[in-house]
Amino acid sequence: MDTILSSYLDKTDRYLKPMPASERSDIIQEIKSEISELQKTEHLSSEQIVARLGDPKELASAYLGDAISKGSGFSFGRFLTVLAFYSVVGFSGLFVIPTLGIIAPVFMVCGILCPVAGLFKAVVGLLNLKIPFAGHIVFMYGSSEAGPVMTFFLALFTGIFLFAAGYGAWKLLVYYVRTVSRTRRKL
Amino acid sequence: MNIDEWKSQIKRGTLEYSILLMIQAHSSYGYEIINRLNEWDILSAKESTVYPLLRRLLKEEYLTSSWQETAEGLPPRKYYTITDTGRKYLDAMSVEWDNLISAIKKIKGE
Repeated sequence: MDTILSSYLDKTDRYLKPMPASERSDIIQEIKSEISELQKTEHLSSEQIVARLGDPKELASAYLGDAISKGSGFSFGRFLTVLAFYSVVGFSGLFVIPTLGIIAPVFMVCGILCPVAGLFKAVVGLLNLKIPFAGHIVFMYGSSEAGPVMTFFLALFTGIFLFAAGYGAWKLLVYYVRTVSRTRRKL
Repeated sequence: MNIDEWKSQIKRGTLEYSILLMIQAHSSYGYEIINRLNEWDILSAKESTVYPLLRRLLKEEYLTSSWQETAEGLPPRKYYTITDTGRKYLDAMSVEWDNLISAIKKIKGE
């Protein structure tokens, strides 16, 4: 890429300033790709390429014109839409994100710990070991205590349920965040 | 008589349809699309028209894009692929296109 072309790209990039940096670099990357196709396939000189692509300001405004007609300018309706969006997202996020953010990992960890504890209790109970605190791991039906094997299965099912709940909360959180960012982009 | 003004209006109205049809046939990149359009005078379009149009179709989620390495030692190309929404949009366009063609035929008395 010689000086004519790199200065052309620099200028275009500068005129694209109103756009987010990520979008700008993507556009420049694509123009670069176009330029090298023109060089390799059509053997155009840098001057010919610049002439073909047109004035950097016009090229940039073709991209920007599209962005502007998509409604990034100010209007009262748009102002209200943005206001409503951020109010809803801000308020709901206040509850949704911390609640799901805590539930998801804690439930999943408990889901794993619960069957482990159940297994421990079953081994202790079956081998009649005297281990302190094992007596705290108990499933009760009414007033009678579940046997060691039963305890393990009950703990396993409880664990699966907790893990599924935690995983569900995680999926929900991801879905929430994705939906919010997708909606914001469309705004 | 200024036929060019009319031609450019036709072009403006049909470029989106033509480009979506091309991309539906197979995923494609900007340079390839422009070259293909240039095969016909009535559709030929400049980079400064086609690239911003592709960008808008991406934003409207009729297309998706992905950067792909090339074998010929060129920089990566940005390939565009049609989405399900894009396909539905294109189907609706095709219906209207056929309506237009048959209306014109009838008006001509064919």
